[in-house]
Amino acid sequence: MILKKISLSNFKNYELEQLEFSSGVNCFVGKNGMGKTNLLDAIYYMCMCKSNFAVNDRNIVRKGEPFFRLEGAFLRNELNEKLVCKVIPGTKKTIELDDVPYAKILEHIGHYPIVMIIPDDTLLATEGSENRRRFMDMTLSQMDQDYLRHLMAYNRVLKQRNAALKAFAKQGNFQLGLINTYNQQLLEPAAYISEKRKHFCTGFEPVFAEVYKNVSGDAEQVEVNYKSHLLEEDFEDLLIQTMERDRILQRTTIGIHKDDLVFKIDEFALKKFASQGQLKSFVLSMKLAQYELLYLEKNIYPILLLDDIFDKLDGDRVRQVLELITNGKYGQTFISDTHPNRVQQILTELGIENKQLKIENGKAVLIENEEA
Amino acid sequence: MNFSSKLIEDAVMAFSKLPGIGKKSALRLVLHLMNQETVHTEQFSEAILKMRRNIKNCKNCHNVSDQDICNVCNDPHRDRSLLCVVESIRDVMAIEDTGQYRGLYHVLGGVISPIEGVGPDTLYIDQLIIRAQAEEVKEIIMAISPTIEGDTTIYYITKQLKDTNVGVTTIARGVAFGGELEYADELTLGRSIISRIPYGSR
Repeated sequence: MILKKISLSNFKNYELEQLEFSSGVNCFVGKNGMGKTNLLDAIYYMCMCKSNFAVNDRNIVRKGEPFFRLEGAFLRNELNEKLVCKVIPGTKKTIELDDVPYAKILEHIGHYPIVMIIPDDTLLATEGSENRRRFMDMTLSQMDQDYLRHLMAYNRVLKQRNAALKAFAKQGNFQLGLINTYNQQLLEPAAYISEKRKHFCTGFEPVFAEVYKNVSGDAEQVEVNYKSHLLEEDFEDLLIQTMERDRILQRTTIGIHKDDLVFKIDEFALKKFASQGQLKSFVLSMKLAQYELLYLEKNIYPILLLDDIFDKLDGDRVRQVLELITNGKYGQTFISDTHPNRVQQILTELGIENKQLKIENGKAVLIENEEA
Repeated sequence: MNFSSKLIEDAVMAFSKLPGIGKKSALRLVLHLMNQETVHTEQFSEAILKMRRNIKNCKNCHNVSDQDICNVCNDPHRDRSLLCVVESIRDVMAIEDTGQYRGLYHVLGGVISPIEGVGPDTLYIDQLIIRAQAEEVKEIIMAISPTIEGDTTIYYITKQLKDTNVGVTTIARGVAFGGELEYADELTLGRSIISRIPYGSR
C-alpha cells in the first residue's frame, strides 16, 4: 500500500500544504518543533482516524481555526483511492473513502494498516501494563473489526459497572442484581478479546524472536507470554469471588483490562535486566514484528512511520536499522530526522529509492538528491 | 438584539428558552402573536397553562394522561396479557402510531446508566415487577433501544422477573423496511441472519 499524495489544511502547524511521496523511503528533515512529527501524525490520522499523540481533536486544529481537513491519495491493491478526514471539533467527524462517508468510523480502522515507531516506545518495556495492552489492541483492532467492537463494548460496560460501584458506596447500599447484570454483560466481550489476545501472542512470539535476532544480532532466547486472570479461572467465578473487594475499592479489580504481556530475554524478565541498548532493540523488534504480523494477516504492506528514532544513535547503528527496514520485508516508509542528509546519504549508498523533504515551520521543501 | 420594549424582550426571552428556538425565531413568534387579536394569545396561553397544570402520569403505566389512569389502560378492548416496556412516553407514541399493538404499556422513564446517575431505583422497575405479578400478564415485550445501557436494563429486569410466570420477549432487531441489504451494517445484517424467521410467519 502506498500513500502517493497528502493535502493538509489547518492540521497542527500546517496551514495548507500538499506533498507527493516516494513509494520507497521518505525522509522529513528539519529542526525540532518545525512539524516533522505532525506530518507523520497526519498520515497516522488518515489510517487510524485519530492522532497517535493528541487525545482530543481540538488540540490538532491549527490555532484560531475552526476545523482541519486531511486528504490522501492512496494506492491499495493496485487501486487508486481517495481518503478525506474532515474534523470540526465538537461535531461528529467525517471520514470519506472515495467520497463515500463511513457510517461508523471504526469501519475504516484496518483499511490502511499502519505501524508507528516513536522514541516513547521504550515505555512498552519499562512502564505499566496499560502500554502493552494498547500495543495488542492497536494490532488486533487493525486485523479484526469485531475485536474493536467487543473492546468498546467491554469498556463501556466496565465504566458503567465502576460508576455503579461508586454510586453504591456513596448511597451506602449495594444492588447485587445490577452488578450481576454487568458481570453477565462483560462475559461475552471478555471471552472474545481474551481468545484473540492469546492467539495474537502465540503468533507474535516466533515472529518477534526472528526480528529480535536480526535487530540485536544476538542469539538470546526471547519469550513472550500472555498473562490474564481469564487464563487461570472462569471469568464469571472470578467476578463473583472479587465482588466484595470490588465493592470496597469501588472499581472492577479483575478482567481483561488487567491483562499483560510478559517478556523475557534468556529467561530473565526484561524489565530488570535489559541494558539501554537491549531495550531499544527490544521495542524496535516489537514494532517491526507488529508490522510483519499485520502484513501476514492482511496481505497488504502497512505504512511504516519512524519518528525521530535515530536520535542518540551512532552512524553504524542508523545504517543497520535502515538496512533492516529496506530489506524487502517492509513497504513505504516515512522517517523524521533532525540530522540533514544523514538518512538520504545512507539510503543512496544502499541504492534505495528515497525522497527527502526539508520541513520548516509547517512548510516542506523538496531536497534534490545530490548524487542523482 | 435590541428591543424598544421590555415587554417584547421578556416574551422573546421566554420563547427562546424552548428547545430548538433561537432568539430570531422567538422574535418571529412574539411579533406574530402581537399582530393578532388578544383573544388568540389568551387561548394560546390558557392551553399551555391548562396542559401544564392538569397533566398527569398514569398510575398504572406512567404514560402521560389527563386522568389518574390513562386511555390505554382504561380501554376494555386492550389485551391485558401483553405488557410493552419502553423508555419514554415518546416510544409509546411511536408504537401507538404503528397501529400494530393492542396490549398495555409500561414506561420506565429511562434506562439504567450509573454514569448518568440513573440506577434501577430511579426508574419504574419495581412497579413493573408488581404489575407483572398480576395474574393476567403473560408476556412482557421489551421495546428498548439496542444499546449497552438498554441491554443492561433488559437483563436486569429479566432477572427480577425470574420468579414470575411471565415470558419475556424483545422486539426484533434487523434490516429496516425498504432498506437494501448491501447498505445494512454488518452487525445488523449478521443479527438478522442469526435470528431469521420462517417465511410467511408474519
